[in-house]
Amino acid sequence: MRGLVRRGALVSALALSLGLSRPARADPYRLRVDSVGYSQSPQSPVGLIILQGDGKPSSWVDAEGLVWAGSTSNNYNVSNGNYDVLSALVRLHDPRNYVQLRLGRQMLTVGSLRPVHIDGADLRLRSPMGTSIEGFGGVPVEPQFGYKAYDWLAGGRLAQSIGSTTSIGVSYLQQREYGQLSYEDAGMDFAAAPARWFDLAAHGTYDLIDPGLAEAGASIAGRFGDFRPEIYATQRSPSRLIPATSLFSALGDTPSDVFGASLKWRMFPRLDVLPIVAARDVAGTVGVDGTLRVTLRLDDRGDGAISFEGRRQGAGPDQWTGARLTTRIPLSARVRWSTELELVAPDDPRGRGTVWPWALVALRWIPVRHWEVAAAVEAASTATATREINGLARLSWSWEGK
Amino acid sequence: MGGEVKKLSLLLALAMLLVACAQILGIRPPEKKPFPHHEHTAKAGITCLRCHAGILGATDTGPLHLPTTATCVGCHQKPHDTRECNGCHGLSYVREEAQMDLDHLKFKHSTHSKRLKDNCAYCHRGVETNSDHVRPTMALCLSCHEHQEDFTAARTCDRCHKNLRGEEVRPESHVAHDGDWLREHGNRAYSAPDLCSTCHADKFCGGCHGRTVPILPEKLAFDDPMRAGVHRAGFVSRHSLEARTQPGLCSTCHSTGQFCEGCHQKNGVDVSSGGRSPHPNGWVGLRGESNDHGPAAWADPSVCAACHTGAGESLCIGCHRVGATGGSPHRPGWTSKMRPTIDQPCRSCHEGTP
Repeated sequence: MRGLVRRGALVSALALSLGLSRPARADPYRLRVDSVGYSQSPQSPVGLIILQGDGKPSSWVDAEGLVWAGSTSNNYNVSNGNYDVLSALVRLHDPRNYVQLRLGRQMLTVGSLRPVHIDGADLRLRSPMGTSIEGFGGVPVEPQFGYKAYDWLAGGRLAQSIGSTTSIGVSYLQQREYGQLSYEDAGMDFAAAPARWFDLAAHGTYDLIDPGLAEAGASIAGRFGDFRPEIYATQRSPSRLIPATSLFSALGDTPSDVFGASLKWRMFPRLDVLPIVAARDVAGTVGVDGTLRVTLRLDDRGDGAISFEGRRQGAGPDQWTGARLTTRIPLSARVRWSTELELVAPDDPRGRGTVWPWALVALRWIPVRHWEVAAAVEAASTATATREINGLARLSWSWEGK
Repeated sequence: MGGEVKKLSLLLALAMLLVACAQILGIRPPEKKPFPHHEHTAKAGITCLRCHAGILGATDTGPLHLPTTATCVGCHQKPHDTRECNGCHGLSYVREEAQMDLDHLKFKHSTHSKRLKDNCAYCHRGVETNSDHVRPTMALCLSCHEHQEDFTAARTCDRCHKNLRGEEVRPESHVAHDGDWLREHGNRAYSAPDLCSTCHADKFCGGCHGRTVPILPEKLAFDDPMRAGVHRAGFVSRHSLEARTQPGLCSTCHSTGQFCEGCHQKNGVDVSSGGRSPHPNGWVGLRGESNDHGPAAWADPSVCAACHTGAGESLCIGCHRVGATGGSPHRPGWTSKMRPTIDQPCRSCHEGTP
């Protein structure tokens, strides 16, 4: 039975990926195939073929799909899986999107609830007055269709827009694992843009099993010409983010709080500077994290760019300092050269080396329309390997048409 | 004399350096002048259609109707150069923008020209003053075409955009992905997932948040180091540092346990596989001794769960079950609506207790 389900799902996903069988009207179909070969750890060598497509055969229907096959470095598949489906989704809706039904394998991002990957259905109703109601249900996706008995989830969101600048919503999710309650969360989200130069957003998720705030965040941003200041705060409660079926959810934790500010400054037409400073409270110890990101575009469109990022993680038990320099330089319309260098210095190396360098040199070439070839060499000296050199290659084909 | 030459050389070098910096930073006048539309139309009295022949009947599938060298030499019979005229005259991005419009917009000059009585300048504002931007702005389109309802209520841009997702452009004007967007995107997306889906397909979100991800987007696009991503560059090496300095960050996406186990076992960072223990000395001790694992577990239980789920839980239960030497592992004030002797995982420690 399970094999039948697997075959059925794969065939459906492939059919979707290949652009459905109906002729298109106005909107194009897109297909893309990537074949990737890496000699990288942790599971090397890695070979992978990704096939994806989407299309909109009419103003009432659209669909998308992505399937892959190969040996991957993804640790979800500890059994070294060799195929799976990321999305296989059909969306039925009226042309104005007042009613929308999504069927199949999909990502659900519903209000402040954590994104969930499900095989199921999602129904959204929206009224012209700005009220929207959403309900969903299904089976949580498991790699290689390895569903567990009595796994399911359901939930929904009720939201109201006020004018075109403000939105507020409440949401609920219940998830079961082997029939046991693993998550039961209620959430609230809010966003407003009262003026063109000012906007804010906030969200919070409340754990109903071990009552308490699981996650919350808020940010306020302004726009003043070349400056964009932002202040933000987040709180995370790690024990409430793991399923209640885990023994460790019963420990209780000390929430991790962050309060930070950033300022994006377009210093010159092609030069952006972004400093970020944050105070982080980890288990009662406060530390300061800082990042400085500088990006220089080498042309007006930003096809070529040089970027530097310096980073200091000064909170928590494992503090470290890092720097990253990246370049992306188009040598011609068809050839692009890029390099990446990263240095990480942990405060307490514990015998793992004082500095961990990592570097990559890559070349991308578009020999003919629709085709793309990329190759890279990566070298590193890390906490786990004194010396490591890897080769990476990708061959892509993409097509868009009616 | 020698000193003056030195000074002059220094000044010259400094000036050259400043010019070079200005060029790199984009502080400079446009490389080329815009096409002199004013000189051709207002001064010479040439109509738009003389150069842009056929534009009034153009649909969204036809050619660009931009003048070629053959069009120019119709009047300029003795060109000063043998190269293509549009190689120097006019701005290259005007042609690129026109091509982009043709590829991505549902727009027909034929329907607009009738209504506007062939008044090109109504939309191409500024063309009469040699503006370097002759492409009408979206705001200008919206001044006649009221699509507010389409966008705010129905979140559809299909009326004009053929393929917004395929354009792969960031709509800086109205949906800015600014600042540290990687950190902020969730907070912004929570209240407007439908707005995100205007441009991003489901598989775009699933590319990072999905349970069956084949490869992370930044790993697939290894040749584009500017692409944002949580696991960029040498993340494998520094992941333990990031996990410990930002409690709960990993578990917002990764379900604990099986995700980490496979890799740790393979790399020998796991006691059960006979590898080395990642814990320092003094990690576990009797009461009154060095005993760091408790506070660490409270700071981020998900890090413990990464290795110790399943059979590994018995290690904790052995000491912390009710009546055993480890005492209660619950943080003071912790409550749950689960039933201690019935529901998992409470039963593991509480079974048999009153």
